[in-house]
Amino acid sequence: MFGCYAATWTHVNFGAGLLLLALITVGGAVLAGAYVERLCFAPHRGGSAIAAMVASFALWMQFEELATLVMPRHLYAFPLLVEGDPLALGPFTLRVDALITLAVALIACMLLACTLYRTRFGLAVRALIEQPSAAALAGINVPWVFVRVFALASAMGGVAGYLVVATHGQITPMLGMWATLKGLLAMMLGGLGSLPGAVIGGLALGLLEAHSQWYLGPQMRDLIAYLLLFVLLAARVPWMTTRSAS
Amino acid sequence: MDDYALGVLTNIGLFSFIALSAYLLLIAGEMSFGQQAFFGVGAYAGGILTALYGWPLPLAALAAMALGALAQFLVALPTLRLRGLYFAMATLAAAEMARILFELLHWRRSIDGELAGPDGTQGFRGIRWIFEHGIEPLHYLGIVGALLALVLGLFLFVERSKLGATLRGIGQDPELAAAVGIDVQRVKLGVAAAAGALAALGGVLYAHHNTYIEPRNFDIMLGVHSLAYALIGGLGTAFGPLLGVLLDIGVLESTRFFQGYRMIVFGGLVAVLLVFRPRGLLDERMVLWIRQRFS
Amino acid sequence: MDKAALLLSLVLAQTPQADLRCVPTGEDFVYDCSITLTRGGQPLEGARITVGADMPSMPMAHSVRPAKATPGTKPGEYKARLDLEMLGEWAVKLRLDGPVRDLLVLHYEFDSKGASPSKR
Repeated sequence: MFGCYAATWTHVNFGAGLLLLALITVGGAVLAGAYVERLCFAPHRGGSAIAAMVASFALWMQFEELATLVMPRHLYAFPLLVEGDPLALGPFTLRVDALITLAVALIACMLLACTLYRTRFGLAVRALIEQPSAAALAGINVPWVFVRVFALASAMGGVAGYLVVATHGQITPMLGMWATLKGLLAMMLGGLGSLPGAVIGGLALGLLEAHSQWYLGPQMRDLIAYLLLFVLLAARVPWMTTRSAS
Repeated sequence: MDDYALGVLTNIGLFSFIALSAYLLLIAGEMSFGQQAFFGVGAYAGGILTALYGWPLPLAALAAMALGALAQFLVALPTLRLRGLYFAMATLAAAEMARILFELLHWRRSIDGELAGPDGTQGFRGIRWIFEHGIEPLHYLGIVGALLALVLGLFLFVERSKLGATLRGIGQDPELAAAVGIDVQRVKLGVAAAAGALAALGGVLYAHHNTYIEPRNFDIMLGVHSLAYALIGGLGTAFGPLLGVLLDIGVLESTRFFQGYRMIVFGGLVAVLLVFRPRGLLDERMVLWIRQRFS
Repeated sequence: MDKAALLLSLVLAQTPQADLRCVPTGEDFVYDCSITLTRGGQPLEGARITVGADMPSMPMAHSVRPAKATPGTKPGEYKARLDLEMLGEWAVKLRLDGPVRDLLVLHYEFDSKGASPSKR
């Protein structure tokens, strides 16, 4: 959200091109991520993850207010990613910006998977997840790894945010809440701590939502998504609850 | 005392109920992001009973509390065995479901030729029982204050009793508690029902104070706030959540100094305090220190 | 139950209604508002009104200091200055004192030109 608002501010005050806005969004996101990481996650590393979660929600409150202070209108227009009509392919109509979003998401996932499984940095990250103390003893610079992980995550968030806002053509302070909830939902559905899970979760959520909205309307769409999450959690479905999340 | 000050004090009282409800679950070892749902249940139930069916407020409040207790009990039943983060997510999901259900709630009744009652996203206007019965703001503050004092008294009584020790024991070390023979699940369910009733009480009082409620009033922000009040005020005593509420509504909202920056200050305060005092300002150690100092 | 319904209907017939008209002042998000108060079709005079506001989509996020309204030129008309924190939809709360005690909540969309009733 911070990234998107930074870009909107730039756009409103200086009128910038799409690529520049994308870069600013990602840059802003990384900055915000660094702030959150330092204040919420680094201090709670050994201790409770929930404390970190509550602290990060608290910082979200800060960002929301900051956004309204700097950009006081409730709604701002954001330049669209793609102008013009959707593509028609046979019996299907495809929105170009949705296609771009999907493509970017897939590329980002492949890049992420590459990073995690083919680079030294990725190796360090995986070692840290499996055995934090052993990793530290083996000489891995733990804090630095976390900083980079967060930067990467924030950058992804920035990319996602940019695509969402550019597809819808508008931005409001509620973007933070929306992104948080959808992100959490998608992640939990796919299973905490699993990369392919997150992707599948996101796609599944998107499909579920699109169909629910089509047949039952926007409120049922959200209701069904939450209901699914609740039921899966309550049933303690193994892929969702066995990964460590202490 | 002018109406604004009375309003602020009443709000402090109202939000103390939901903060205490989050606190109760916290000391039993569960972090709930969903107390706002039961606050909402109380608000809607109480409002419907007084505005559409002419029930007196005290009766409606009791009914609202019962409904809130039942609702939280039903949510807790399948989810209490979940570990921390997953339980938190489940409460979040449940609360959002409740909010959406409020958006879908249309319960209209014709009162004197006009339709009244909850109308989905348009909200629920005209909860005017206290105005129809000539209750002045000062009196209402008195009612809220008296109920809060009663609840606090109950908390203090329980804290010093075996039940209080049991609760904290379950919160700190559930395995040990189970080993000693405590039925952890049963106690937690009881705590959940009590927390639901407490939040619902706050809700019904809130609805009547405001005369108007809508689903957006009961969103995640309220849940996060109530959790934050308990966490920064302190988990050592029931006065902790009260302190949290006072800090936010009493200091931050009311003083001109912070106008426009309230959430930034409050959010920052929560994050920083969680680093140094993860159990809040009035945490168990502080309470012990105070007790020793003044005994 | 019938007696309650009767009482309810008697009281509800007396619910005050309010209308809001606001113009922006030079300052950011400060509006000069004119409130028209009626009850049962007749202008309601002599009420002491305190005007506050909340943003429904961001509950608990704002703190708008309530303003006391002063009587205007016409009967049933009152004036108040509202200092909001941002543009958008606000739930304006009119706390009435005086001949009638009540709390009215009105939803208005505030923009650079003034306030218009929310299309809900």
